[in-house]
Amino acid sequence: MAARRVGVSSWYRVLSLSRRCGRCSSTNTALGKTVENSEGAQEEIVLPRRKTWDKLAVLQTLASTVKRDPTAAHYMFHDDPYLMPKNSATARLFSLSKESGRNAAKYIIKEFPHFFDKILAEPNIPSLMPEICTPQIEGVSEEALRERINLRMVKASVDLFDQLLQAGTSISLETTNSLLDLLCFYGDGESTQEKESEEKEDLEESEVNASEQETPKRPPQRGSHPFASRWRENNNAERIFKIMPERNAHSYCTMIRGMVKHGASAKAYDMYTELLNDRHKADVHTFNALITAVPFLKDRFLERWELIKMFLNHMAQQEVQPNVQTFNAVLKTLRRCGGVGRSMAVPVIKEMEALEIEPSLATYDHLLSIFYRSADLASSGIISEVLDDVEKRSFTPQDPDDAKFFISAMQVCCDLKDIKLAYRLNKAVEKGDNWKFLDMDRLNSYWSRFFSLLCMMEQIDVVLKWYKEMSPSLFYPSPKNILDFLQALDAANHLEMIPSVWEDMKQLGFSKRRDLLEEVLSLMSRDQHPEEIQLAFAKCAEDIKTVHEQSGRDQASVEWTGSALGSVTVLFSRAGRTQDAWSMMERFQQINRIPTDLVMDEFLNCAKQTNSPDEAIKLVKLAASLGLPSSQKLKSRVEKEFKLSENQNARQKELRAAQGKSRH
Amino acid sequence: MWRFTAFEALLGPEDYNPDVTLPVHSSGAGRNAVARNARRSSRSRPAALKGRRGCERRAEGAMWGRLCGSGRILLLAGAARHCGRPHRTQKLFSTSSVLSATEDEPTAPTDSTTKVASKEGAAETPKQKLLKMIGDMKVEVTTKRKFQQLKEQEIKKQATNKQEGLHGGSSTFQNSAEDVQRSKPLNPELVQAASAVASSFPHNKEQAESELLAQLRRHEETTDKQRRGGTINICNVISEMTVKRQSPAQRGVRISNRISLEMDEDGQRIKPGRPSSHSDSGRSLKAGKRLNIFTKASPETENALKTVSSPTIWDLEFAKEIAAVTEQPPRNGFEEMIQWTKEGILWEFPIDNEAGMDDGAEFHEHIFLEKHLKDFPKQGPIRHFMELVICGLSKNPYLSVKQKIEHIEWFRNYFEEKKEFLQEI
Repeated sequence: MAARRVGVSSWYRVLSLSRRCGRCSSTNTALGKTVENSEGAQEEIVLPRRKTWDKLAVLQTLASTVKRDPTAAHYMFHDDPYLMPKNSATARLFSLSKESGRNAAKYIIKEFPHFFDKILAEPNIPSLMPEICTPQIEGVSEEALRERINLRMVKASVDLFDQLLQAGTSISLETTNSLLDLLCFYGDGESTQEKESEEKEDLEESEVNASEQETPKRPPQRGSHPFASRWRENNNAERIFKIMPERNAHSYCTMIRGMVKHGASAKAYDMYTELLNDRHKADVHTFNALITAVPFLKDRFLERWELIKMFLNHMAQQEVQPNVQTFNAVLKTLRRCGGVGRSMAVPVIKEMEALEIEPSLATYDHLLSIFYRSADLASSGIISEVLDDVEKRSFTPQDPDDAKFFISAMQVCCDLKDIKLAYRLNKAVEKGDNWKFLDMDRLNSYWSRFFSLLCMMEQIDVVLKWYKEMSPSLFYPSPKNILDFLQALDAANHLEMIPSVWEDMKQLGFSKRRDLLEEVLSLMSRDQHPEEIQLAFAKCAEDIKTVHEQSGRDQASVEWTGSALGSVTVLFSRAGRTQDAWSMMERFQQINRIPTDLVMDEFLNCAKQTNSPDEAIKLVKLAASLGLPSSQKLKSRVEKEFKLSENQNARQKELRAAQGKSRH
Repeated sequence: MWRFTAFEALLGPEDYNPDVTLPVHSSGAGRNAVARNARRSSRSRPAALKGRRGCERRAEGAMWGRLCGSGRILLLAGAARHCGRPHRTQKLFSTSSVLSATEDEPTAPTDSTTKVASKEGAAETPKQKLLKMIGDMKVEVTTKRKFQQLKEQEIKKQATNKQEGLHGGSSTFQNSAEDVQRSKPLNPELVQAASAVASSFPHNKEQAESELLAQLRRHEETTDKQRRGGTINICNVISEMTVKRQSPAQRGVRISNRISLEMDEDGQRIKPGRPSSHSDSGRSLKAGKRLNIFTKASPETENALKTVSSPTIWDLEFAKEIAAVTEQPPRNGFEEMIQWTKEGILWEFPIDNEAGMDDGAEFHEHIFLEKHLKDFPKQGPIRHFMELVICGLSKNPYLSVKQKIEHIEWFRNYFEEKKEFLQEI
């Protein structure tokens, strides 16, 4: 009965959702009209000729019924159980490899279309067909040039342009401008497609060279790519720009943008003065680019601000309306203006308000970084005002920097140790489509910051609830998160949970992190616990022992440290596993460490409890052979607390004699 | 309350001695860290006994902090007792000159305070003790104030629980610490120290001394009260202690100092006064002037500006970049299907007979073709034949509606032409 009711209610939800989606698509205006009409008067009901569905409505409705499973990894990993990520590093690796596999397939189809001859489908699906990226127009003409520009073939376009010029053909301003666009965007380097083919040649070469020496060379080559795209002196763009018979504002603007993009800020500024001398007006994008270049033009903070102000004034004079990116660029530059930035940020925001330009998330991101750069500025005023604004709105992406906001806001919450702000921020993330601003890497660092803050400030039950809710499905805890979590457990006196945390650590692949191992061991061995917990701890300790002793062929095993060895011994002793404890004791000697008095006391207690005087004597021997000052004390304790047999007594005496000898 | 501002001035804003800080500071992060440290130090008693004496006392102090509810002051007192090393104190005083101007109590004018600081020799231990003790207090308050206010309630709760838990195990410990606490205000050494400090003031020696002592007594009272019932909220005490924070002017100096430091980074020093005028205390996004550079465009000009031009490569790439900001991999199978639909590689939902038909006709026009048979005889072999024809046509997906109608037209014309022959038959 109950089940049926649940079923019914979920169906209602589906229906209502689908209705909403139908309204979203709103292509059925006719239907709406009929409803109104029938309500108004008894007129003829006009049936819609056809009801058009949004092609996504059904799917969206269905998708909205699927909730996140907190115990499962992200959907993209479901294909292959072998490739389930264990921690954030593997998650990143696997998602990237999935994407690169897809790209490789596309590349093959594009590169070798002749291998795919069974591609006819009925009806034909054009999106599955390989793209045409070879020019169809032959010969030397402006048409051909335009086609090459559209296909983004940088080198071919320039060559064709030169040929046209040599032939004496005049090329229209529009075409030349779009050629300039292309050249400036790619910084006169190659567009991606050509880069790929270059890399392919590279690869072939290295194969030919049977490359043991080539392989180490390759990474730096790849790393040098961004440098290759820097603006070069007298590159093709500059050359073409110089020989252009007439130039309009667009030609100047695209040159300026290209120069800024490829790091030639000073040149861009010169180009801007040329533009002014030629009595042209720049467009808003050009001003945005120039404002982002300001930090490279001036060194002093005040001069930077003066320059920004000059650009803004020029915009006003040239009747260019600023957009949200303009103000984002201003704030981004103010980030690099120290105290001037802090004092001028608010007027900039006010100006935005006055112009009724809605700030994007990047605006807020810049604000936070301006005001919270130095962590000692511990006022939560700005961030809570920012959150007030963010909570009120839903956001669409407007600026490439938008994605950084939630992370930096969470960082500020962490710096301020303000859990309430963090909760508010998290609410804002969950609102609407805001979650989309956090891609996989960002999501991970966002949650790991949040989790650290939770560990620091929250009650342990709340921390545990969050941990269960988000651990594998939203993020993979970092080693630091685990450390924080352990500390939170310690603070709340919930040490009995450590074995389960250890399980998680193994799962996450942190079982070889020395810092974590030490923390786990020291927490477990610090206090005496009820027997049940001690047994669980001992099991844990055994696990840790095997981690230390695994002689993995592929990975180096973890070296024992004195404290780790001591803790493991203590844990074995407390659980009454005398033999295991003794084997650990022996290991002290092997690695030239000395057990602490506490460890030996615990071991002796254990030996006493399990009534194994032999072990006790062995311990005394060990202490004596290590020349520990406490050996005397241990010996007297053994004599007092154990009933030693004749034989054992004799050995004790022997020991004493040996000691006496060594002393003399 | 001037004592706190005064000694803060002596200490300087950032400069406190790390040696004297409690273990609380060492891991310093949040409420749980305090609890954890307190517990750890109380439990590691055997180890502490073996260690340095200072270490043990620190542990004591920290433990007292836990036992006495939110008795932060006790904790400090405990820590203060072991700090008397001269070299540290000197370092402590070195920064005093800059901020000594912050004094606002007439009884202790600026230069006198500085004098105290500069006059301090290496041997004057009682005075140093006192200074340090109170200095520590201030440090503690400033660093921990924030989360104290947030979390004091829970701490108190936990602390009382803890108190019950620890009572049996560490009673001797507690007693020793308690003794110390009790005897503190009566301790002649402290009184001496206070008078020593007061004597170095040029004026109002008595007043200064009595105020110092009164303050010490007040500490004793609060600690007593809190030890007994924890009835006094630590929040009150702390808020009292910090009521007198820096004056705006002082803060201005501080901020401008910071700013000028940043200027130094920049390679150039700017007069501190100017930029800091804006960055004063009440920084908020709501208050402030606008730049007043732009005027809001009227809708007409806005529209006029939107000239229609074909998108350049810049526009295309920018759009791509923006779209990439919120691009997410599908979270479930349905979302994946949505993505495929958008890419155009999946049948569109709902799946119906109209998929792939894009001649603008409806399915009923394709299927119900009887209405085109009006001109044919109502019965007889021709009718029968035509019905078969439209049946076939309605099942043919390859012809458009127009072609189908043309097909029927052809038969109509055909039978029309052959009418005579048919009638003959």
